[in-house]
Amino acid sequence: MKPVLLIAVNFVREQRWPILVLLLWVLLLAFLGLATDAVRQREDLLFVFKQVAVYVLAFSVFFGSSAIYNDRRSRRILSVLAKSVSRQQYLSGLVLGITIACGIYCFALGITGSWTLGEAGFPIWRVWFLMLCLLTACALAGTVALMFSTFLNPFFAAGATAAVMGLPAMVSYVTGSLQWAYVIPVYALAATVLKSSFGSPGGLSWFPLVWAVVETLAFWLLSARIFSYVDIAVSVE
Amino acid sequence: MGAALEFENVGKEYRSLFGRRRFPALDGFNLRVEVGEILGFLGPNGAGKTTAIHLAMGFMRPTSGRGRLLGEPFGHAATRSRVGFLPENVALYPRRAEQLVRFYGALNGMKAAQLGRRTAQVLEIVRLQDDAKRNVSKFSRGMQQRVGLAQALVNDPELLILDEPTSALDPLARVAVRELLLNARAAGKTIFLSSHLLSEVELVCDRVAVLHRGRLVRLGTTADLLQVGQRTQIVARRIAADGFVGAVARNGDVSFSVPANQQRAALERVWQLGGEVISVNPERRSLEEIFLQVTADKSVAAGAA
Repeated sequence: MKPVLLIAVNFVREQRWPILVLLLWVLLLAFLGLATDAVRQREDLLFVFKQVAVYVLAFSVFFGSSAIYNDRRSRRILSVLAKSVSRQQYLSGLVLGITIACGIYCFALGITGSWTLGEAGFPIWRVWFLMLCLLTACALAGTVALMFSTFLNPFFAAGATAAVMGLPAMVSYVTGSLQWAYVIPVYALAATVLKSSFGSPGGLSWFPLVWAVVETLAFWLLSARIFSYVDIAVSVE
Repeated sequence: MGAALEFENVGKEYRSLFGRRRFPALDGFNLRVEVGEILGFLGPNGAGKTTAIHLAMGFMRPTSGRGRLLGEPFGHAATRSRVGFLPENVALYPRRAEQLVRFYGALNGMKAAQLGRRTAQVLEIVRLQDDAKRNVSKFSRGMQQRVGLAQALVNDPELLILDEPTSALDPLARVAVRELLLNARAAGKTIFLSSHLLSEVELVCDRVAVLHRGRLVRLGTTADLLQVGQRTQIVARRIAADGFVGAVARNGDVSFSVPANQQRAALERVWQLGGEVISVNPERRSLEEIFLQVTADKSVAAGAA
């Protein structure tokens, strides 16, 4: 467990600038909360909140698709995997690192959202539930991207992740069938965030959350399996 | 004594996307590195040295054959806690040298108290104790290589695998590394040393393996490889060079070699001619000569084939 934690913390440390840039969006929401009348402009606030919330999904894909590539291109991976660290532990560290990075963002957004939206009458428990949905979606999206990045360069890995997440969502949207949205529940979880409103903040739907955790584990195992066959000293182009 | 590192008929082929083109890097490679020895691993660029090392470390899988690292198959993660590895062109995370060495030590499962003591120790060994608090991204390449060495040594490994450990170091640091290697051997460690610095290999290695085009073309003790049969090298002064077959005059000295059984007669002849004997040594070749000969032979052979 210790190597996994070390690799995760190291990942977060390496990604501190993108995380900081992400946190600027949260600052924007906080600024709006300060500058506007929260009650009168609550719809605008909620819109900004949702918009700022879904950015982290894109960043989780960015983190996942580039993590291995960056370490391989810089050859830093050699010094890490030369220690008593298995490839599965290495990937676990990256998944945990991506989740922590997104978790920092979700936590900051949760705090700001509780303050700004709470003031406007949005249930605070709901803000935190939405953040949990978002974090779970990020963990899944990041793991799928990580899986593709074990054998594809970041550009194609991100594209493949978008396709895997987007196709079931599109089918669900076109056919109106909810089952399709749960094939890869990133869309279902993001929709929970995006469809929240002051009128109907929504209830606690745990199924997509649990299902996303199960899929995250499945994709993590699959990536570990694929990665165990990869020649890591050969650069991915 | 057992083998610390063993390659058994190992082959490695790189393939292009969809396997359309294949590049053999190692072919039927056999080698045993015995416990407690320093084995120099030589070969021209592209010979397959780094590939062999990466296979041993489990960074890639062999296409054929198998190998063992400290008795376990290549790629066994737990075994690597007993191995120190310095990659060629070491790449480090940008943080303080001390933090970085601790990070790598902790990855090997070292406990905090032991890690703190050992980190200070290895930074002193590589002479970076005064720069321990500085960020390695501000270091020169030579200093980064020394941090790389420190991270390889932090777990007090039984087997050290070093890929070009002194390529970026100044002469002073090279001497320090040489001492470090000799001390490690004296402490019973095994060292697998890949290097282009033949003089260095000649000075520290017990055995030398030469790899060319993915095949092992020469393996032996350094002394055996450097010895040229039973010949003696004589250097004399105040004699004419044309008095001896194959003699070469340089800066007033004349040097020539004779079969060992004719050494006495040759010395007496020097004295008869009024000359002065400066030195008498068994004739040795430099590793560079062997390296050039081996790689040239194989190039010709490969060209002829």
